[in-house]
Amino acid sequence: MNFAPETSIDIASAVNRATAPSAEAKLKVEKLNFFYGDNHALKNINFEIPEKRVTAMIGPSGCGKSTLLRIFNRMYQLYPGQRAEGKILFDGADLLSKDLDSTVVRSRIGMVFQKPTPFPMSIYDNIAFGVRLHERLSKAQMDERVEWCLRKAAIWEETKDRLHTSALGMSGGQQQRLCIARTIAVRPEVILLDEPTSALDPISTSKIEDLIDELKQEFTIVIVTHNMQQAARCADITSFFYLGELIEVAASNEIFTNPREARTRDYITGRFG
Amino acid sequence: MDATLSGRQAGTGLIAARKPTGRVSDPVFVGILWTSGIVVLLLLGLIIAMLFEGGLPAIQEFGLSFIWSTTWNPVTEVFGAGVMVFGTVFSAVIAVIIALPLSFGIAFFLTEIAPGPLRRPIGVAIQLLAAIPSIIYGMWGFFVIVPLMAAYVQPPLIEWLGPLPLIGALFQGPPLGAGMLTAGLIMAIMILPFITAMFVEVLESVPPMIKESAYGVGATTYEVYRNVSVPYGRTAMVGAVMLGLGRALGETMAVTFVIGNATRMSASLFAPGATIASTIANEFPEASTGSLKLQSLLELGFILFVISFIVLALSRLLVRSRLKG
Amino acid sequence: MASLARRRATDYTVKAISVGFAALSLVLLAWILWTLVARGLPALGPHVFTKITAPPGAGGGLLNAIVGSLIQIGVALIIGTPIGLMCGTFLAENGRGTQVGNAVRFVNDVLLSAPSILIGLFVYQILVVPFGGFSGWAGAIALAIIIIPVVVRTTEDMLNLVPIGLREAAFALGAPQWKVVTFITWRAGRAGIVTGILLAIARAAGETAPLLFTSLGNNGWSLSLDAPMASLPIAIYQYAASPFEDWVALAWAGALIITVGVLTLNILSRLVLAKMK
Repeated sequence: MNFAPETSIDIASAVNRATAPSAEAKLKVEKLNFFYGDNHALKNINFEIPEKRVTAMIGPSGCGKSTLLRIFNRMYQLYPGQRAEGKILFDGADLLSKDLDSTVVRSRIGMVFQKPTPFPMSIYDNIAFGVRLHERLSKAQMDERVEWCLRKAAIWEETKDRLHTSALGMSGGQQQRLCIARTIAVRPEVILLDEPTSALDPISTSKIEDLIDELKQEFTIVIVTHNMQQAARCADITSFFYLGELIEVAASNEIFTNPREARTRDYITGRFG
Repeated sequence: MDATLSGRQAGTGLIAARKPTGRVSDPVFVGILWTSGIVVLLLLGLIIAMLFEGGLPAIQEFGLSFIWSTTWNPVTEVFGAGVMVFGTVFSAVIAVIIALPLSFGIAFFLTEIAPGPLRRPIGVAIQLLAAIPSIIYGMWGFFVIVPLMAAYVQPPLIEWLGPLPLIGALFQGPPLGAGMLTAGLIMAIMILPFITAMFVEVLESVPPMIKESAYGVGATTYEVYRNVSVPYGRTAMVGAVMLGLGRALGETMAVTFVIGNATRMSASLFAPGATIASTIANEFPEASTGSLKLQSLLELGFILFVISFIVLALSRLLVRSRLKG
Repeated sequence: MASLARRRATDYTVKAISVGFAALSLVLLAWILWTLVARGLPALGPHVFTKITAPPGAGGGLLNAIVGSLIQIGVALIIGTPIGLMCGTFLAENGRGTQVGNAVRFVNDVLLSAPSILIGLFVYQILVVPFGGFSGWAGAIALAIIIIPVVVRTTEDMLNLVPIGLREAAFALGAPQWKVVTFITWRAGRAGIVTGILLAIARAAGETAPLLFTSLGNNGWSLSLDAPMASLPIAIYQYAASPFEDWVALAWAGALIITVGVLTLNILSRLVLAKMK
């Protein structure tokens, strides 16, 4: 607990109590405001993401949950006119600080997208591409790394005989697991999942959900989802966003059975969104 | 921490453990990209500047009346662009007038009539017309079309239409074959694929719902085309025609072969004439460096550039505004 | 209000005319090709490819013109392709929505359709006059200026087809921009980029006007880029307008060679593109 803050905001300590004793904050969002040009998309967000837990972000379209996710790995910086104010502490370093290089942030905080994004190259090269950016490995080490991450992503058995064939020939579900493997291969500490199953069929979806459950042993996971069952099934903590504000954050079993806020309840019971 | 992975560093919670991947290479790369963009940007300005500078002595010698003066006399060294400007515009307008109905018809055929499997091959075949080099059109026009015009097309037209009042002037003179009409005809074939391709692109962007609602009230295919599709894409289609015009204005080799290269002004479609481009191509070899003639030719080039630039810029504004919105 | 029968008749007539126009354009294409084959094929023989241009009646060929064209196109590609590729990439990656990007795109569109003879005049002014003579270099640079806008346009169009998500996925792994572009975006769009280069070669191969005052033409055998250089289009231009029968025949042979080459490149590029989509 040596990195744990002396005083944490009420919500976070509530989360900590509700989940597990060892959960320290991996990411700590402080007074975050975000703008798309003149559009104030996130308003004064204070929020903690506990380590080695799955944190879900839910809310209606346009509520800011994906925006927040894309701030964590500085994806927004690819687009001029998008601007963040405030702090996001990652192991004590401010992610929004200019001193921190985006490529370093992204190697530590990986991201998997809504649609599978296999690169137009072989399965092996898809993984090696990311690894080579940050590490120099021998052929044997690289082979080992590829196998390791494909096993982690529960796709080794399906791919081990076709590692050098194009990744574009895989099914959608396989491609998405490859993308997860590719992200893991860089050895991040945090994995961001942006509606990772919304383009997949139910069987592939449940495989990915099982995988998420496995991965939280080692990684801190943040998932944006439209599917409330998915949040309830996978996430330890769920946060509800509405119109750019963080309305409520609590342990998943709590928020889905007994939300404190009326707006959360309305959303969960399907009254809007 | 996963024990099976040997290379994995232990205890790296610190973000500083990774090195940035593009600190030096990225600014260099982005610099190269920007430089290339700027090079292309400057290229146009440089072309205009060099042509302007090269032609400046001609303007100083003859004044602004160079632009409309119809005298072009290498012997007395008196030069004016009037005949060529007229020939350039006249032949290009003829080309557009011929190409326009053809493009309307072919675009209608390709978007509404042609059976699915035939569309692509026929569309590609028509696009190949645009790929044939200009000089090939020149040879074909010179050896095949010019004799045909002289023998079969021009004599009856001169006989029937020549005596008419007003429009008769367009159809007078000897049936030489080469001349304004032949040049316009050849250029019409050359610009036809460009105009057609853009028409098809515009027409295919018409939302099917709009067309279907017109069919729903009992309109025929042609009525939908004429009253719905074409009005819908009108702005961009005007832009397409301007592009065709712009191409025709600057066409060189094909015109040089078939226009007859006479620096006299005539209202007749059959009269030999000259365009700016054909004059430059023809007379450049006879102009020595630093001569007034060369400077006049460069000034001609500058005038052509300005005309083309205006037409092409207008075309682009019209096309992009419609396709974007 | 026209009667139904009359409206139907109009519809039918317009359709018939449209079919006629489409057929006419195909007939024109066939006619041009037939003319080239009918006049060019009989004139085609080994001598065209093995002998250099010679005075009328001396039984020359087009070897120096063909080689000269290949050299000038090759040099033009070496100069023009990188600039075009980079500029197209700039427009698709960094210039999107910026003032500079819009200006570059506009200028490129104008250059794409600008009269090619003026490119020749321009290069004459900047290279031939100051450096004291016509040269293969001047011809190659004029062709490079023809090539650049074609490559820029196709590169931008093709890179715009590459999904944003693919770029973001590469950035999300911590890749720097140059690696995202070269390893991911170019790779995903490479068929399209190749198409652009093929089309640019086709365009350059047939251009005559920009070479008139730059590389001029050369009736002897010369591989030097510092001297005037022969090229196929210029040889055709010179021979076709001549009064000598054997020269005119050679011009037709050259015309057939160029057209077959250019159309092959065009069809090839369309096949590459169809495979990509």
